[in-house]
Amino acid sequence: MNALKRYWWLILLAAIAVYPVIGKPSPYRSGLLIFAGIYIILAVGLDLLMGYTGQISVGHAAFFAVGAYTSGILTAKYGFSPAAAMGVGVVFSATLAFLTGRPVLALKEYYLAMATLAFNEIVVTLIIGFEGLTGGASGLRDIPPFTIFGFSLLNHLHYYYFVWTVVVLVIASSIAVVRSPFGRALIAIHSDEQAARSFGVDCAKYKTRAYMLAAVYASIAGSLFAHYMGFIAPDDFGILTSINLLVMLFLGGIGTIFGPALGALFLKLLPEITYQFQDYELLINGIILIVVLVFFPRGLFGIFTALRNKIVPRMGK
Amino acid sequence: MMEKNGHILTISGVTKTFDGVRALDDVSFSVRSGDIKALIGPNGAGKTTLLNAVSGLNPPTKGSVLFEGRDVVGLRTDQIASLGMSRTFQLIRLFTINNATVLDNVLLGAHMHLRPTLLETVFLRGRIKRQEREATAKAMDLLKLVGIEKEAHALPGELSFGSQRLLELARALMTGPRMLLLDEPASGLNDAEVEEFTRLLMTIKQQGITILIVEHNMKLVMNIADDIIVLDFGRKLAEGPPSAICANPDVIEAYLGAQSKECGVTQ
Amino acid sequence: MSDISHLVQFLFSGITVGSVYALIAVSLVIVYKVSQLICFAQGEFFVFGALTMTTLVSKGVPVPLAFFLSIIIAMALGALIQQVLIRPMKNTSVGALIVMTIAISLALRGLALLIWGRESHVLPPFSRGEPIQVLGAALQLQILWIVGITTVVLFLIWFFFEKTPAGIAMRACAENPYGASLMGINTQKTTLVAWAWGSGIGALAGMAVAPMLFTQYTSGIMPMVKGFIAMSIGGLGSIVGSVIAGLLLGLVESYTIGLISSKFSDTIVFALLMAVLVFRPNGLFSRS
Repeated sequence: MNALKRYWWLILLAAIAVYPVIGKPSPYRSGLLIFAGIYIILAVGLDLLMGYTGQISVGHAAFFAVGAYTSGILTAKYGFSPAAAMGVGVVFSATLAFLTGRPVLALKEYYLAMATLAFNEIVVTLIIGFEGLTGGASGLRDIPPFTIFGFSLLNHLHYYYFVWTVVVLVIASSIAVVRSPFGRALIAIHSDEQAARSFGVDCAKYKTRAYMLAAVYASIAGSLFAHYMGFIAPDDFGILTSINLLVMLFLGGIGTIFGPALGALFLKLLPEITYQFQDYELLINGIILIVVLVFFPRGLFGIFTALRNKIVPRMGK
Repeated sequence: MMEKNGHILTISGVTKTFDGVRALDDVSFSVRSGDIKALIGPNGAGKTTLLNAVSGLNPPTKGSVLFEGRDVVGLRTDQIASLGMSRTFQLIRLFTINNATVLDNVLLGAHMHLRPTLLETVFLRGRIKRQEREATAKAMDLLKLVGIEKEAHALPGELSFGSQRLLELARALMTGPRMLLLDEPASGLNDAEVEEFTRLLMTIKQQGITILIVEHNMKLVMNIADDIIVLDFGRKLAEGPPSAICANPDVIEAYLGAQSKECGVTQ
Repeated sequence: MSDISHLVQFLFSGITVGSVYALIAVSLVIVYKVSQLICFAQGEFFVFGALTMTTLVSKGVPVPLAFFLSIIIAMALGALIQQVLIRPMKNTSVGALIVMTIAISLALRGLALLIWGRESHVLPPFSRGEPIQVLGAALQLQILWIVGITTVVLFLIWFFFEKTPAGIAMRACAENPYGASLMGINTQKTTLVAWAWGSGIGALAGMAVAPMLFTQYTSGIMPMVKGFIAMSIGGLGSIVGSVIAGLLLGLVESYTIGLISSKFSDTIVFALLMAVLVFRPNGLFSRS
């Protein structure tokens, strides 16, 4: 039973792998899961920055945009291969995060929230402004599908497996990070920055590193998004998207990696249920979030672990 | 390393002003290598301000702080810590977010030796894993030394107040310091705990670690201090061996007062 | 039109937009001063104010009555939200509080969608009449209303905080909640009053520009963001600072759109914000 408690995620992994075989999803259904996967990558990265390092960001979609547009422009206009373009996007995002990280992350709480929000808007307005390159407000078209080793991932199911492989890698590497000495330094910064400094943690450096990692994940998510959609527009990357990510974090349970992943999955699959209520969708989303925040401050993942601990009683410790 | 009985820490002319108010006024003294030096004085005398000035949390407005011959004024707190100076806090400041355990808190003390990089953390985990095993063994030893090894996997908040103070000490020792700054480490401890703590400090001293301790408990101070400095209104009021401080009429008037009978302990 | 008339025209639109930003910034500052919380739902009061008044006027309610009714409804809504949803959220992280106000804004936006649908609504101007010609530029009468309302509101706020016991108590509360509670000031009540004020002023901003905008359920987002910017440039807790910053922001925007480029006006505004945050984190007008 203890094994079940420790390795429950293997069941999850198996479910992801066999779902397309057993469920035989329509392209629409697998599309939903592809979007969910992309948002999980974004949310998990943001969780490293917010949930572990304690640095709020209301502009994380900026790096999503950088990844998507780098991939889109390089493949659609300059004939880059998608994998190479994704690599360029990653380098570009990491550099941008490195350059802006120090001054921005020196700010705290609301000031940090405002600065990240401003950063997001700057990126989006630049995208809208440089129409010649980006297609402006009306969007960038004709982005080719992803190819690996000359094998084109046109089929929804192929792309589903591709995206979810990335999701698993992102979650695994995030867990490796938070359970390492590196992650411990991030948690120390989150707990008490001055005290962390007193133990030799160069806070500015570590905050910037966490920011860069979150930016790299977001950039990868952006590339995956661009190649799946074939068409991207600035609206997909505005502060509303950033705010949505915050919602996913708190809905799922911030600072747990799995929580934000769950939050992203839930919020992206929710329309499946609420679409029949149409105009009520927004109100329902708001109310669900309020209920979670007030009654379940540890989020959906908190509910999940509580249930798991009830079913599989605590052993030892 | 400094030669025996050399000065590990020399503070000269340290002044700190907050909005024009002088919290520290031209304070100078030094700490001999291997000593326990106590910093005493009434509340608001500037004791914590001095520790913060030394450790870099709140650098002095004027003056110099030489640690092992190197001026640390202007260095960042984390750089000063990495030079081999560690500290505890008057109000306990443990890491509590994301279910960080007692062991995690001690392990953070190893940060400056591990210096984990992000790329290694994600891609090359060999060195980190090996070092982490060694660090964990050392951390458990330190928890054993302070006597809270059974609670290694508890959350800091679940510990008693006294144990939290011990945890702070273990975390500071984990950095492998040559000098410890302790800010009222015995406040809030009961008599038995103070006695235990006294023994612990003597053990640490025997390991060759120099200690600068801010403390109100005069019994503790008289038992362990080789040397005492008294601050009052941000100025140095007196400095000398415990016996001389006890006999100093200025010190008795400004601070010791009723506590002066505690001075008898070592005499 | 001559060059001068262009410049004057930009001045008018800058002041109009700037007044709105200033009002929203002030509404945010009032709530922030008392509860150290920036409410991301403030834009929703803007929408509720504008659309409630539009509906009331279209149902034949006289403009002045509709005006006061809309404000009172918004104030009640703000007070209700504070009591039911914000008060239980004490002792949580700033992040959780921000997300709570985001949740409230989603719910309010959803509510606005249900009540007013997806269409845009326009309110008739407060008073009819031809625009006044000033140096070749057209000054719409509604602009006079907007500037007038802003001036009156700012005067009332000044009067309230400087001259009335309740306002002075609120200031004390903002500066030192614990001390204020020791002095027998009811912090709970002050917080409630601040939220009511904040929501009312937010609504007022929406109502004042409703005749010049097409308002729909999503219209609150941009004014809210710009209000935030004004508030940050003014230095989070300063009413005077955010009024000046709001007007400045409106003028900068208007002149950049008119003279430089409409494409990059927002880039410039947000870059300005980042520069202020990084180089003068206590606001553009703070000393030292």
